[in-house]
Amino acid sequence: MTVRLVKLGFNPKPPTVMHLDLNSCFASVEQQADPFLRGRPVAVAAYDSPGGCIIAPSVEAKQAGVKVGMRVRQGRSLCPELTVLPPDPNKYRAVHLALRKLLETYTDKVCPKSIDEFVLDLEGAPAWRRGMVQAAGEIKRRIREEIGEWLRVSVGIGPNRFLAKTAASLRKPDGLETIDESNFRQVYRRLAVTDLCGIKTGNLVRLNGQGIFTAEDFYLADEARLKAAFASVAGYYWYCRLRGWEIDEVVFGRRSYGNSYALPKSLTDPEELLPILLKLVVKMGARVRRAGWRARGVHVSLLYRDWSHWHRGQVQAETVFDDRDIYAAAVKILGACPYRKPVHTLAVSCFDLVKAGSAQMSLFGEAERKERLARAIDEINDRWGQYVITPALMLGTGENVPDRVAFGGVKELEEAVMAAV
Amino acid sequence: MIQKLSVPVSVTLVFDHRRRTAAPTQVVFDGREYRILKVGFHHTYRRGRTLFQVFSVAAETVYFRLVLNTDNLFWTLEEIHDGEAG
Repeated sequence: MTVRLVKLGFNPKPPTVMHLDLNSCFASVEQQADPFLRGRPVAVAAYDSPGGCIIAPSVEAKQAGVKVGMRVRQGRSLCPELTVLPPDPNKYRAVHLALRKLLETYTDKVCPKSIDEFVLDLEGAPAWRRGMVQAAGEIKRRIREEIGEWLRVSVGIGPNRFLAKTAASLRKPDGLETIDESNFRQVYRRLAVTDLCGIKTGNLVRLNGQGIFTAEDFYLADEARLKAAFASVAGYYWYCRLRGWEIDEVVFGRRSYGNSYALPKSLTDPEELLPILLKLVVKMGARVRRAGWRARGVHVSLLYRDWSHWHRGQVQAETVFDDRDIYAAAVKILGACPYRKPVHTLAVSCFDLVKAGSAQMSLFGEAERKERLARAIDEINDRWGQYVITPALMLGTGENVPDRVAFGGVKELEEAVMAAV
Repeated sequence: MIQKLSVPVSVTLVFDHRRRTAAPTQVVFDGREYRILKVGFHHTYRRGRTLFQVFSVAAETVYFRLVLNTDNLFWTLEEIHDGEAG
């Protein structure tokens, strides 16, 4: 049987989706807080030591060539007057929550995509009737007046999330661009394929293999060619996306919890890694229990200094929720690692989650006793602060595993929103 | 230069009932009085159940990060910036 593919035109509906991106988020928030940093090159780095990784350069630092991912020493060599600051997650979460509150006055369809990105669907909202561009201008003004005068957002407007995000990336900082039926071809003509969100080296190679070298080639390619390029349903998704049809309005449920830590100095010996592994488990375990979950699986991942990677997950005989059980499983997994190389990043996660109430009861009440103890420890830590009661093995971990904002993640932000309510 | 510290500090905070605002107006630190000219940012965080109010403020030539412990109403100076880079 042959399936005839229907040629899909560009979505003719007026653009109703707005993408907001807070420019140079962490650095701009630091400049907002400290007026003496404004107009100066600033970078927020995981550590302010020379080997620390820059996670957010300010607009001024970017103009001097400083980029995300550079080492502090490299940033300083490009820009000797660079001010390097450690991250202050509470400050950034406060801005995220304030932005969210402001945007929710326009529509109930506000979707945070990361700590500094939001998507709004204004279809049918009063602001949409006034005009999308006017609403975007008003939001920009209100952010400056109500949250911080130094904060700038790039706003993109489009008929779907993908084109709204693409529009937001066209002009930074402080941009306001629309991509719709009237101009999408002009926009595609001036973009490289890798300018499109979701297309990096791997996908570029796939597209090049089908003779697709520019964003316009990508748009002009028919569905069969895209299916051949991606060898999956992803080809059809791209075919729709590029034509302004919505296929990204999907909310994924929580499937795992995890914490990771980029070690400030290389550790090779598992004995040295264990206290940090335990601290990661304690941090993650409290989050899992607070959200009312138990886990069937535990996963450990090691990224080495030579950028090679080892990881393993293991499903447990019984669901785990107690830090001691999660840690015992993680130690067992770590013990199976055949490599002894300097570790860059250590990560632990729990997967295959089940709701605490639906877990099977134990025959002799052991799990119930553990649950009561874990609850009591969590209550003390919630009252007096994280790590007030910890396992003795964690002693000496001090400043390791500090509070961090997850890159590109929104699940952790949900926890911040819950805590603020 | 930005300096991290943790020292008790005297702060005058004014609540304006007409504007519905509350903000530090004066800091006494190291024997000197500084008039606050600008509140750059205000945010909060919790350690355990204790709520901390953080005011990032600027006097004429100095930036202060002032933290109010809302349990005991004590102020702590956590950061000072003399306006120079570095």
